[in-house]
Amino acid sequence: MFGWWGKGLEVDLGSGEIVVKRLPREIYEMYLGGRGLGVKLLWDHLQAGIDPLSPQNVMIFAAGPLTGTRAPAAGRHAVVTKSPLTGTIFDGNAGGYWGTALKKAGYDYILFKGRAPSPVFLLIRGDRVSLESAAFLWGKNTDQTIRLLKDKFPAEGKRRYGIACIGRAGENGVAFACIMNDRGNTCGRGGLGAVMGSKNLKAVVVGGEETVPLADDEAFEEYRRDILRLLVASPVSSKGLSSFGTSVLVNLINYMKLLPTDNFRRVYFEEAYEVSGEKIRDNYERKKRACFGCPIACKSRAGEMEIPEYETLALLGPACNNSSLESIMEMNHLCNDYGLDTITTGATLSCYAEILGRDLLQEEMLELIREVGEHEGAGAQLSRGSALLAAKMGQPGAAMQVKKLELPGYDPRGALGMALGYATSNRGGCHLRAYMIGPEIFGKPKLLNRLTFVGKSGLLPVFQNFFTTMDSLVVCKFVSFSAGEEELAAILSSVTGVHFSAQDLLRIGERIWNLERLFNLREGFSVSDDTLPERFFHNSDDGYAKGLNRDEFMRALREYYFYRGWTEEGVPTGEKLTQLGIN
Amino acid sequence: MWREINRFGRKLVEYGLAHSHFGNISVRTGDGLLITRSGSMLDEIDENMVVHCRLYQEDCFDTIASSETIVHRRIYQQTSALAIIHVHSPYAVALSLLSEEEYLVPRDTESKYFLHRIPLVTGGVGSAELAANLAGALSQHKAAIVRGHGTFAAGKILEEAYVNTCSVEHACKVHYLCTNKTTGDGTL
Repeated sequence: MFGWWGKGLEVDLGSGEIVVKRLPREIYEMYLGGRGLGVKLLWDHLQAGIDPLSPQNVMIFAAGPLTGTRAPAAGRHAVVTKSPLTGTIFDGNAGGYWGTALKKAGYDYILFKGRAPSPVFLLIRGDRVSLESAAFLWGKNTDQTIRLLKDKFPAEGKRRYGIACIGRAGENGVAFACIMNDRGNTCGRGGLGAVMGSKNLKAVVVGGEETVPLADDEAFEEYRRDILRLLVASPVSSKGLSSFGTSVLVNLINYMKLLPTDNFRRVYFEEAYEVSGEKIRDNYERKKRACFGCPIACKSRAGEMEIPEYETLALLGPACNNSSLESIMEMNHLCNDYGLDTITTGATLSCYAEILGRDLLQEEMLELIREVGEHEGAGAQLSRGSALLAAKMGQPGAAMQVKKLELPGYDPRGALGMALGYATSNRGGCHLRAYMIGPEIFGKPKLLNRLTFVGKSGLLPVFQNFFTTMDSLVVCKFVSFSAGEEELAAILSSVTGVHFSAQDLLRIGERIWNLERLFNLREGFSVSDDTLPERFFHNSDDGYAKGLNRDEFMRALREYYFYRGWTEEGVPTGEKLTQLGIN
Repeated sequence: MWREINRFGRKLVEYGLAHSHFGNISVRTGDGLLITRSGSMLDEIDENMVVHCRLYQEDCFDTIASSETIVHRRIYQQTSALAIIHVHSPYAVALSLLSEEEYLVPRDTESKYFLHRIPLVTGGVGSAELAANLAGALSQHKAAIVRGHGTFAAGKILEEAYVNTCSVEHACKVHYLCTNKTTGDGTL
């Protein structure tokens, strides 16, 4: 095979057994890799009703067919498991170097099951794979863990190691603990780090020297250049993201009146400039950095501090009525060190502030983050996320979440395709399942009227399917501002030697999406979970955002099910599943 | 001001000088510029389809502005233009591909009088190189053609930029028709 190695590792952490598994080519062609392969393996290996933090849960790290090649922005990997935060199927993906390292080691995926009797890390040095004691790492946060492992496993010739690890939050089972790799790259959402912690798995260290073979080098180079040209031509990737990073969105989203402010009670933040990309540019000496193989280079650091992403700025800033950039940078650093999802952290803090009836002081926020990571004091009750916190404190309406996943930095009243996208997301309140901000705000690939549901029900599944495919290749979402399924189909075909049309890619995305839906239905989710918090059906307190019309929302949801080929109860029909090759 | 942009955008499409979502229009607003959004159609411009960017510094609005904003910005910085129109008008594009000269010299009297000669410049879409080349060309000429891409025309008001755009296309059309008549095979 080209593009795929055709094999992965299955690691039983309970017994310590490590087995090399080969998968049939058909599985790769149907699910590609990354998210798709992880979803398929989880579906096959996990029974319904399993506690996500029990040894029975299964966790898959998977690279995609483009990972490890020079395809633009494709040095990524996905992690798939059942989420302790949402109870849904959950995938996260991250850039950095880890995914490339896995492919260079000669594997497409690693599947973990069981729980190690004591803390371990998995070490992969090409074909030498072992579980090593993590006693010297346990109790340490991610910065120190990564530094210790980097010192222990320096680059050896062409072999460079990728390190994915958890911090104290993951060890302590915080429901929104993340996985950090190579400093500043996270599989951020849904508590993937807590699942690692529950398995006593502190880190995965991987290095290899293999070169991913391409089926057609010449065609690959041609299609690669095509995508690079498109990236340059798009102002979103070549100007905004490249110059500012995602922080460019703060002022833009505020201008559009959909910046979550005061726990989504308002949509416009008077002091937005203070936490914006422009403020960062004007006040910080930044050093740009890129994930492996990415020409966009949207990340940057100021000294040792990571410049926060837009979502982090929005949720730890305006959502908490906080206009101190310095404090957000400090909180971002603390979250990354503990291994905490900054979106859920910010959203849970803003929810807590609403319940308390007052803004939190910056020092108070920092202390609460530390307590969440340590699972102690007031932080312990915040460590299950906003939905359980608000329910426990008797104000469930204060949690801005869908399926218990906190909403990110776009108020759904200002982008109705996004609203429908939040409600129907298989992993809960997530912007990345379809990123309707692309067409509704950036005008990519084409500008849509953001304030109507009309036409969105039919379009949303296409975007969801496409993004699912991107997560399976695994390619960064930002490529979608420039290249579409045609370009990705062409480059995938040149890598694998298997002809994929644009339509094939969308069909693969649809297959994965439907399998995720089946997983969630099996776990007891239903049409009643495909909704939004009550707050969004009312006008914002500042009057800028009009409340969603419930009838229009429900009509759009029913139409969405229709376009999906599902029943009115949101269940995929037998005909649809047969069409997709799902047995 | 968006209404003026709308008016000339409609004219450009109506007369076949622009189509689909190609082309962009801007006007200078002191230390800023109001420019059409990326992906907008010139015959459907409304207040949501224009965006205000800074003249001397990029900001968040560059993200949704036309991909040629860098070019407009540089032209305003280096010339006295107050309005710019860019379209992919067909005869100008065709002639720029057929000619290897640095300038196109119009054949018809009106165009000779108004335009004198039209620079043919190079550079990638939305690139710094194109911005520099066009700013240089438009500091001495009313309009220029980007090879294989289209026209950039400047003026003190939008109407002047529109007139210059039409003049270039008219000059190119006449030039092409005359040349085709002479050689019969489309070569210049």
